[in-house]
Amino acid sequence: MDQNRRGARASYVALTIFLAVWIFMPSTVRRFNREAFTEFQAPGLHLVSKSRDLARFWELKSRSSEEMALAGRDLARVNAALELKLASLDDVRRENTRLREITRYTVPADYMSVVARVATRDSSSWWNRIVIRKGRNDGIRPGAPVIFGNSVVGRVTAVHLTTSEVDLVTSPGFRCTAFLEGDDQNSIVLINGLAGNSLRTPQARISVIPNDYSTGTLQSPKAFTTGMGGVFPSRLVLGTVDLDSKATKPGSSFKEGRLNPSRELYNLQEVSVLVPLHQNPGEALLQGDQFQ
Amino acid sequence: MKEELPGKVLPSTPIDRLRLYGVFFFFAIGFIYVSVGLGFRQLVESGKLKAVSESQSRRIVILPPARGRIYDRNGEILVDNRARWSVKADLAALQKEFRAEYLKLLAAEKAREAATLDREKLQENARKYVLQRWLDKIWFVIDETNKSAKSSRIKVPAVTSPGERFVSIDDLRKHLRERRPLPYTLVTDLAFPGTGQALSPQDGMKAVARFIEQFPVDGPIRLESDIIRTYPHGTLAAHVLGYVKDSDELPPNVEDLADTKMDSLQKLQYSGKKGAAGIEETFDTLLRGNSGWELWSKTSAGYNQNRLKVSDPQQGSHATLSLDWRIQAAAEGALSKIRDPQGTVLPGAAVMMDVHTGEILALASQPTFDPNRLADRVTNTYFKEIDDAGGWLNRSIQGLYAPGSTFKIITAIAGMRNKVVDWDDILDCGPSFRVGNRDFPEHEPAGYGQVDLEKMLAVSCNVWNYQVGLRTGIDKLHDEARRFGLDTPLLKTPGDTENNYKEATALPYPADKRLVVPDPAYKLKIGGGAWTPGDTANLAIGQGYLLTTPLHMACVAASVARNETRTTPYIIHDLRGGTHPGAAPIGLTTAQYTALKSGLERCVEEGTGKTGKIPGLPYAAKTGTAEYFKDGKKAHLAWMIGYAPAKDPAVAFCVLIEGQLDTNTWGGKTAGPVVKEMLETWWPIAVKVNLEEKPDAAR
Repeated sequence: MDQNRRGARASYVALTIFLAVWIFMPSTVRRFNREAFTEFQAPGLHLVSKSRDLARFWELKSRSSEEMALAGRDLARVNAALELKLASLDDVRRENTRLREITRYTVPADYMSVVARVATRDSSSWWNRIVIRKGRNDGIRPGAPVIFGNSVVGRVTAVHLTTSEVDLVTSPGFRCTAFLEGDDQNSIVLINGLAGNSLRTPQARISVIPNDYSTGTLQSPKAFTTGMGGVFPSRLVLGTVDLDSKATKPGSSFKEGRLNPSRELYNLQEVSVLVPLHQNPGEALLQGDQFQ
Repeated sequence: MKEELPGKVLPSTPIDRLRLYGVFFFFAIGFIYVSVGLGFRQLVESGKLKAVSESQSRRIVILPPARGRIYDRNGEILVDNRARWSVKADLAALQKEFRAEYLKLLAAEKAREAATLDREKLQENARKYVLQRWLDKIWFVIDETNKSAKSSRIKVPAVTSPGERFVSIDDLRKHLRERRPLPYTLVTDLAFPGTGQALSPQDGMKAVARFIEQFPVDGPIRLESDIIRTYPHGTLAAHVLGYVKDSDELPPNVEDLADTKMDSLQKLQYSGKKGAAGIEETFDTLLRGNSGWELWSKTSAGYNQNRLKVSDPQQGSHATLSLDWRIQAAAEGALSKIRDPQGTVLPGAAVMMDVHTGEILALASQPTFDPNRLADRVTNTYFKEIDDAGGWLNRSIQGLYAPGSTFKIITAIAGMRNKVVDWDDILDCGPSFRVGNRDFPEHEPAGYGQVDLEKMLAVSCNVWNYQVGLRTGIDKLHDEARRFGLDTPLLKTPGDTENNYKEATALPYPADKRLVVPDPAYKLKIGGGAWTPGDTANLAIGQGYLLTTPLHMACVAASVARNETRTTPYIIHDLRGGTHPGAAPIGLTTAQYTALKSGLERCVEEGTGKTGKIPGLPYAAKTGTAEYFKDGKKAHLAWMIGYAPAKDPAVAFCVLIEGQLDTNTWGGKTAGPVVKEMLETWWPIAVKVNLEEKPDAAR
């Protein structure tokens, strides 16, 4: 009994000593420890993610030939529809090329696209952060925008050797500017991720919406990136807009609203990281460079 | 030897019982004192102490409301509010950084072995250095020149607008003294950093976007948005609209505060705005709205900690002016084309009003100013620039001028009403007219010969007016001018009209008390001596002591168009489409009135006003060239008043240009093009409105 008590006391003492040492440890050492821990668990994340991919592969492989035939038929229909759309875009593409040749316009390549599989969702911030299977080794840098198709997924917040953490649009750490569909004035509005809530679908807040903005006949107007902030390319879809009459203060000059990100955001398998070819000032700040 | 019991410790010496009771008693008294005191404070004084505690640990921050919008008669926004994005530093969150910097500076001072250590100065410097570092980072992000920070070594951009690039120690000291709990503003307006002139609106939006997307979200630097007055049309109608300036007189939403029993708490407020000129000033109470407030708990250091309660501010009411921005723009554009040989815009004014309602459609004055540049901080340079150009004066309502030949309309009416001349009387008008010992000249060296009323108005014959003025006499002439309200204040302020804003022209500081319609008593009063026939002759052609404003002369034209003597001008649009309340008739016979109108029409068709002639739009006007003294030398004022169309008047106008010593300024020639441009803008609008209102007329 006494020995047990003594043992318990000793463990408390050890914990206290450890905490005291941790608190008073230089921040560089603590940062190194955190980084080391992340790198340590990275292979595990890769393994789990790849196992999930394998499981999915075998799950698909085990489907019956009837199911495959049905899926093939559906796919053929989708293909046919896309073929039609592609054909209609041909003229536009040709006209675009002609105009570019006339004006000798060269499209500036501002970003390098890196495709990455999603390793896991970080549950510590209520599923508002994902971890992807590409990192510093693949040229990914902090602050880079992450997209899926034409929709914004979020931004890279931390980069490790083989993994990166991405704050989703709905994360409280996410902030960007947007234009709203149907706003003729093209006023800049502010998008801020809202703190996660396990019982609700994650959303972002839209603020500083001009008072005279109304969705009009649009059922679900979209919010697009402005392309002015030097981080996101323009015209990427951030989500759909819900004007929030409750959040708008009476007599205020601005309205508030909610941003509903696209449904794919909750079930992401793969994303593209747009790594800027040139470092922007914000990235330099994130890396904590010294000022002159 | 006593046997000691294991586990018990006995006192080494016995305690005296009496002493023990004494100690117990002493402690009992102390305990009772503490208990009773605690109970008293808990049960009796709790309310009072709670109030004291709250007043020491809480504060109210007053939030300024958004001002109401100002529209023109068509719903075009003339004054609005725009989002202003400012970057502020949370001083409470920077405490650690301040402390670390202070210790660093202190160590350096000690190492230097300085004779005296001014710790307060070191603290000030520490705060300044920390804030400056953050400000450098902000500029590094928002500056377009840093679009590609290729080098990992960050360079602070070159200083282009020092006012916004450096933390001022005086500003910081003032902030800490007066508004310590509020965040410190590092960049006032992200979209227009510096003077607000260096960037285009597009560049401004980019700066905002760059900060939002690139600056770290977490940390002591906050992005705040509030609203600021904006004038989307720039200088358009600046004198009418006015501008706003900072005000600390912002009243809280008193009712709210009384309800929540928070009136005893310390109150802090952001600077609000109040109207400083024009409609912004006269309708300030309507436009400003109600302030809101926030209740905060504060830290022991005096910084805000948690927001406990909030009451939102309420935007002020909107105002709709009678102005039509298209006509206003045309008037200002035309005025700005009249320049002296050096290319400087000549001072001038232009007014256009609806004849039937008295509503002012345009009220322009040059030189002017851009209220956007006055809405936040006015730089000394810009203030002086406006001052030197004479841009503060609203010449339409504040400028006092001799009306010159435009007054001949009143002389003619006075003559006919007093039966000293009739519409068809022909007077012999030579090159001059002798009054006493002096020859009063005609502006045409050869004279006009046989002149009747119509011809007089068409060619603006002086001699006809000398004769008629002298026959009428100063008393009658004076009475007639007063009958047309030339010395009557037109511009009532909201306070004069018991909040009936429709009744108010409502522009501040009109020239009401300085208007002069002279008579012998006036001349004696100002020490000019006895009234002479020469004075009467001068008055008959609108010269001498007579002083009035362009708005008054526009009202004379509108009154003549309606065959009445008075017109009350309105600047607030009557959305119900009210009509002018009416006034006494002029009192001419039909033939006299017809001849008067015909003469005014001929003035444009063939007379002194023909430079302003518009094919397809016959209108009536009277030109005038008055003399005035500038720097002791004679210069000329160019006038043109009238109404359009000639047959069925809808609008009346008045244009005045102040000629300079080196300019060739003549009534119709100088003012005519301005009138022409205004009417050419108004006419298509009127035709369209007429077609919309009376579609049958189109068929």
